[in-house]
Amino acid sequence: MDFSRIELDAEHQRLLDDVRAFAAEHLTPEVFAHELETGDNFNEKVHLAMGERGWIMPHWPKERGGAGLDRLGVRILDVELGRARLPHVTLGTTRLVVRAVEKFASDAIRDDILAGVAKGTVRFCLGYTEPHGGSDIAGARTRAVKDGSEWVINGSKMFTTGAHNCQYTFLITRSDPTLPKHKGLSMFLVPLDSPGIEIRGIRAFSGERTNMVFYDDVRLDEKYLLGEPNGGWAVLRGPLDEEHSIGDGNPDGLDEVSIGWMFAREIDDALQSVIEWATTPRADGSRPADDPAVVERLGRVQIELEAALVTPGPSGRVKGGETTVWVGAELLDLLGIEGLVSQGRPGALGGGQAEFLHRYAQGTVTYGGTVEVFRTIIAQHELGLPRMEYPGSKLLVTSAS
Amino acid sequence: MDPHELRRLDFTLSEDHQAVREAFADFFRKESPTTLVRAAQPLGFDAELWRKTVDVGATAMALPEEHDGDGAGILELSLVAEELGRSLAPVPLIEHVVASRLLAATGDPAVADLIAEAAAGERILGIALRPLAGRQLVSTAAVAETVVGFDGEGVVVVTAPGARPHEVNQSSLPAAWVDPAAESVQRVSSPDAAALHARAQKEWKAVTAAALAGMTEGALALGIEFVRTRETMGVVIGKLQGVSFQLADVRIGIVGARNYARRAAWLLDNEPETEPHFAAGALAYAAKVATEGVQISAHVQGGLGFTVEADASLYFLRAKGWSLAGGPIADDARAVGESLLASRAGRLAGTRA
Repeated sequence: MDFSRIELDAEHQRLLDDVRAFAAEHLTPEVFAHELETGDNFNEKVHLAMGERGWIMPHWPKERGGAGLDRLGVRILDVELGRARLPHVTLGTTRLVVRAVEKFASDAIRDDILAGVAKGTVRFCLGYTEPHGGSDIAGARTRAVKDGSEWVINGSKMFTTGAHNCQYTFLITRSDPTLPKHKGLSMFLVPLDSPGIEIRGIRAFSGERTNMVFYDDVRLDEKYLLGEPNGGWAVLRGPLDEEHSIGDGNPDGLDEVSIGWMFAREIDDALQSVIEWATTPRADGSRPADDPAVVERLGRVQIELEAALVTPGPSGRVKGGETTVWVGAELLDLLGIEGLVSQGRPGALGGGQAEFLHRYAQGTVTYGGTVEVFRTIIAQHELGLPRMEYPGSKLLVTSAS
Repeated sequence: MDPHELRRLDFTLSEDHQAVREAFADFFRKESPTTLVRAAQPLGFDAELWRKTVDVGATAMALPEEHDGDGAGILELSLVAEELGRSLAPVPLIEHVVASRLLAATGDPAVADLIAEAAAGERILGIALRPLAGRQLVSTAAVAETVVGFDGEGVVVVTAPGARPHEVNQSSLPAAWVDPAAESVQRVSSPDAAALHARAQKEWKAVTAAALAGMTEGALALGIEFVRTRETMGVVIGKLQGVSFQLADVRIGIVGARNYARRAAWLLDNEPETEPHFAAGALAYAAKVATEGVQISAHVQGGLGFTVEADASLYFLRAKGWSLAGGPIADDARAVGESLLASRAGRLAGTRA
């Protein structure tokens, strides 16, 4: 057990200084204005600048386009760029897919694509969810049909966040509807400039942009198949487990223990802005923080935040998301009507962080799998409760519509 | 804590920690079955179990070596408390050890004999967790002849002429009123009594938070056992999301409360000046988790879980008592809030530099 402050040697101190200088240079007000306008959670200029430094795949050796950072170096990079509010979603989805590409991509495409990832010119998004299916990824109906040395893709995907800024989508398809549900799936890396693909933007009320992506007779060379035909579930498992954070952690204390930590950082930013409000005198000279009830409620927010940061595994995912939802609402209750002024407006309290948190929170209990998915995992795998057999848990159920 | 601060987040227990945890898990499972917990009601004390607890070294382990202790820290004590909580063991161990450590920390040779008697379990010590200005209901004072407290000026040791009458309560706490005006009061000399008492409060909060996490896990096990076999309309109820999701929520609370408590204990052992109210936060969270967890664990057992015969009732009734022995939880939340406001200037200076 160790929660000590990490003392940096000269090399890591230099890295910390570099990352802070990078953030100051590249994470400019223009970047955040662009973010507010587009909701992309991605900025190409910043991404390419990170690629130049080897920071997209920072643990890779320099000859592969990485920065050769050790685990502490990677942690410093994550913490400092997180603090500076790096737009991170497309970076995150790209990194999630890299291991599957390393392991399952054909020789014909693998090395070029991975080199492009490290440089920043190649980005991946996740083509999982379908309009009918929500979190039931294995229920994919988007069809892949073999035609000579090509595959033909037809169907549609929801919530392919970042598709309009990516070169490939990591696509799950139904290649054999006659096989049991998890056995008739094939994974592809689909070039997003292929004819027959249409990307349509969808805005969430957080301001974030995601996409619906339509596939209409999209013809793919077989070199874009990942792994075996009908072996897609094995290809998907790795990235999916990583996204759900199931697996062995390294005991050096450099990993976040809670997979809700990304949300917790948003809470922290909003909380800091509310503390500023609470300690600023009003017209009559009193401060909100002079009221013990306000102090107690801020204390309860802080307690929930601390708890979210140390709740491990799938539990942390639920705790992180639901704490974000609760805190988002709680902070606005404290602020009153002034707290509602929109982020980006000059009158927004504390830059509108609390107002944003309340809108943003709704996504955190859904994306990457709803909290119900995680509660099911906890109930079955941690509590050992019996599994409910649903009609569609083993079979592809298509008759419902 | 600042989530952007570069700190390790390693919750792995060492082999020694594992050994402590396992030894006390075995001990309390064997020696403190629910039949014994019931038999100890309403006082909430079993003298035979106390003797055995002393014999396995629990009262001396966290005392400094100069008092013939093992020099263990709050973290080790927390691991013991988790297991004590899981079994609802009716022994006043946490208060006793925290009071003993407070006396040892004064460095006053006049209390050396008292500490030795406490380490040997011959005299049970209680602790007045709030400043002892007047009469106070102290959680273990019906079985602790001697209560250690802080009266606003210094550390005091208060001993009643005879056994104090037990104030019967829903949680089977061995609570009794301590009245310094009517009891013998010994003043203990110490350099900074207020700080020592504040430290004792924090130790009690961190260790009690761990005990509550263990208690909730004990209750959860009962709930799980029930829903795995109970059927309604031909379905095992543990399959129903309305049931299983509630139990998953209890689990989510436990794993977070346990880590929060362990981190609080580690901070007290290693960086006592950092985040002064971290332990208060850990207690407030564990209290919430316990209150909700024992309720759900009883509720999934339906009407049966509401009966006195159900072991779930033992957990339900104790969760509040163990949480509140140090005072209202709202005070802990407010202390965390005050600490948050005070740390703001440092945070802003650190991040914007």
